[in-house]
Amino acid sequence: MRSIVPAAAALAAVLALALAAGATAQSPDQKVVLTVGLTQDLDSPNVTVGELVSSFELWNLQYPTLTDLAADDLSTAPGLAESWSSDDSGRVWTYTLREGLEWSDGTPITAEEVAYTINRSREEEWLNHYSTVQNLTAEATDERTLVVTSSVDDPKLPGLSVYIVPKHVYEEIEASEIGKYAALDGVSAGPFSLKEWKKGQFWRMEANDSYWRGRVAIDEVVFRVFRNADAMVAALRSGELDAAHNVPAAAFPSLETAEGIEAVEGEQGGFDYLVLNSYAGQPPRDETKFDAPHPVLLDLRVRQAIAHAIDKETLVERVLSGLGTPGTTISPSPSPAWMPELSEEETYEFDLEQANQILDDAGYTDTNGNGVREHEGKDIVLRYAIRTESEYSKPYAEFITGWLKDIGIDTTFSSYDDGQLIEVAGKGAFDAYVWGWTPFVDPDPMLSYMKCDQISVDASDFSNFWNDTGLCDPEYDALYAEQNTELDPDRREEIVHEMLTRWYTNAAYVVLATSPDLQAYRTDRFSGWVRQPAEIGPVLFSNSSPSYWSLEPLASSGDGDGGLSTAAIAAIAIAGAGALALVGWVVLRRRSVEERE
Amino acid sequence: MSVRFVVGKVLGAFATLAFVLVFNFFLFRVVESNPVATLYRGRNLTDAQRDELTRQFGLDGSKLEQFVRYVEQTLQLNLGRSYATNRPVIEEIWAAAPQTIALVGVATVISMVIGILMGISAGWRRGTTQDRVLTSTSMATWSTPDFWLGMILLTVFAVQLGLFPTGGIEDPTSGATGFAKLLDQAWHMALPCLTLAIAYVGEFALVMRSSILDVMREDYLTLARAKGLRDAQVRDRHAVRNALLPSTALIAINFGFVLSGAIAVETVFSWPGLGLLTTEALRGPDLPMLQGLFLVFSASVIFFNLVADLLYPLLDPRVRYS
Repeated sequence: MRSIVPAAAALAAVLALALAAGATAQSPDQKVVLTVGLTQDLDSPNVTVGELVSSFELWNLQYPTLTDLAADDLSTAPGLAESWSSDDSGRVWTYTLREGLEWSDGTPITAEEVAYTINRSREEEWLNHYSTVQNLTAEATDERTLVVTSSVDDPKLPGLSVYIVPKHVYEEIEASEIGKYAALDGVSAGPFSLKEWKKGQFWRMEANDSYWRGRVAIDEVVFRVFRNADAMVAALRSGELDAAHNVPAAAFPSLETAEGIEAVEGEQGGFDYLVLNSYAGQPPRDETKFDAPHPVLLDLRVRQAIAHAIDKETLVERVLSGLGTPGTTISPSPSPAWMPELSEEETYEFDLEQANQILDDAGYTDTNGNGVREHEGKDIVLRYAIRTESEYSKPYAEFITGWLKDIGIDTTFSSYDDGQLIEVAGKGAFDAYVWGWTPFVDPDPMLSYMKCDQISVDASDFSNFWNDTGLCDPEYDALYAEQNTELDPDRREEIVHEMLTRWYTNAAYVVLATSPDLQAYRTDRFSGWVRQPAEIGPVLFSNSSPSYWSLEPLASSGDGDGGLSTAAIAAIAIAGAGALALVGWVVLRRRSVEERE
Repeated sequence: MSVRFVVGKVLGAFATLAFVLVFNFFLFRVVESNPVATLYRGRNLTDAQRDELTRQFGLDGSKLEQFVRYVEQTLQLNLGRSYATNRPVIEEIWAAAPQTIALVGVATVISMVIGILMGISAGWRRGTTQDRVLTSTSMATWSTPDFWLGMILLTVFAVQLGLFPTGGIEDPTSGATGFAKLLDQAWHMALPCLTLAIAYVGEFALVMRSSILDVMREDYLTLARAKGLRDAQVRDRHAVRNALLPSTALIAINFGFVLSGAIAVETVFSWPGLGLLTTEALRGPDLPMLQGLFLVFSASVIFFNLVADLLYPLLDPRVRYS
């Protein structure tokens, strides 16, 4: 045994030294640091390139917006602009900027700076700006006055919450080079500026002294990327993290009951839906290149029967572990006001008997008694696609195809990763699958995805579509065009309600459930967490992330995250010394034994 | 060692590598994918931009043209561009490799030393309680899944006891530099390294034990004892030296697996090395990245196998260069 004792002791000594090293490496300064865990790295800090939620959080903290989104209901609130007014046409808006605005490097923010971002992003069609600014022209009439003119009636105005970038940095970058710009300049006019990004590990931001709301109470915010969500939850429990985003559903219930931790189901309008392929020849496409849906799905009665056959309550309980709420219509915005109230007659209640009745009445019967209804003498078998990248896709499939079986519809399965499924969907080579959407603040983009011109017809690029149902409803398109230029907010809301009710009735999308962001934060470190929108939304990674400038460190919090107490360091030092002594003793003893032998 | 033997082994290694190179190309093209469409969905690319991206990803032209270009580029150490980041694969691998080499290298050395010592003492006292304890411990650690062990150690040492961090390679807020930074990294490496060391130690111990058992029957041990040498001298000078030979091969081969050895453990501890790069690439799937990693992993295994082949005859003159 004696030859392993020293080895084991040596290992113990090494570990103890590593520990002591860690203890001394802990910085003793009293910086107030907010550490947030997440499972997704930045794709790019460059606002013309990035598109992940993590990157949007970075921009929310670094770049100002002309108008902000109110924390409680996402309505238009003052940002860089403190006030605004419009002319009689409603197309020309004059914004007045706050006094004394500055970038973190001391450069003043003038109306000219804001105009620069709006005009350049329109000309160059920047990814995250273009949909908002495509019809706008901006002009600075003096230091603090910005006139924005829209070439169309645009109900989104005066809201203009695109990220404003520092002109003095960006004017150095040519249009052809801008996509390659690393954007690590750290010039900020938000609460924090980016100081360091270690790809795949973390990014670190420091408070901006010249933030227009005043310097925030936090000195630094660190976003740590975890590749193992369970380890992230462990880090939250151990106090290494102050908050975590994208908590795994399996760990969520245990965090809900954990002491000192608040678990948050943050609704931002995201939802899961069952899509039924309903392409009926409009708009026309080269049928030799595309696949076609099962013909029964073109019969509205069949889709309605399927809608009646899906028990959303059970899906929420059994598939989503109770996280989320049963769905109704599409939700086009994080703000629930845009969703219509469905009347009882309009709603497809879960009722297998009624579903079977509808199919019987429509003449789809099971003549050979094998449990499957027939269409033109053949069993009705739908092609159901499963997403390998979603943990819920399979359990959803099991429940849904079980109910389909109950109403006499059989299914076959194929599995795809998301890249493949987009192509399969674009080709129309499926009958049903479950996927999800998360909407922007304004309902317009989400509503636009269901238009006829968003159906896949481009045989050279099967991913060139958004309307995965293939259902073309010209009446819906007409309503879309109407809301798109309706300047009266109440009237616009009415139109949107009508559109969503129509789309619900078409039953090409069966919205299954909301898909909340699962987050959690420690209650012993900071106070002032803000849910956006109020009461239902998430505390982080929301549309304008107000928590960061609202948080205050709690007096008792100190710097104790993950650090070791003096007693622990002493204990480790003693253990290390003990282990070394043991090694020495064994070696000496061994020598003396050999001498005796 | 004859030149012929060395040349033969080296040629054999190159032939294997060439096979991997060819196999790699076809393996990662079984799945049809169109990264340009997937990555740039909804961005209104012009046809020219689309063609340019397709060209950048090396997906233009026929399969044969692609293959020829792939071989040419690989020979120039150009492994293509990652679908996920649109950066050269070789740069990403180059940036992640040092962390993996540090982690798995240290773990391999620790487990090698401890494992060999365990094997010697178990084999030398075959049949005793000590042997049974050591052997069953080795069996147990060898068969433990490393990601599971990692989660257990993480829960105990990082969450319950709070002694080590839960993951990552450094404390983002410390701002430490130089030696302090190195210490911080050592502190972060302790748990993943311990996990791997425990996972590897059993294999070394069991191989060493069985080699010791093999040499124990040899005549030269009887002779050594007859000469009147003490037990420890017989063991250290005669038994262990000869028994180490099979372990040398094992060690060399194990170093070949250093690069690819910690995929699960790196993921558990968010350790930014090649393993993490692999799990990340699997998600996409980022085929050029996977292809590049696969090639690098294979090359490393082939190289260390060659080293083992060449080393063996040097250490043991009984091995003929046939």
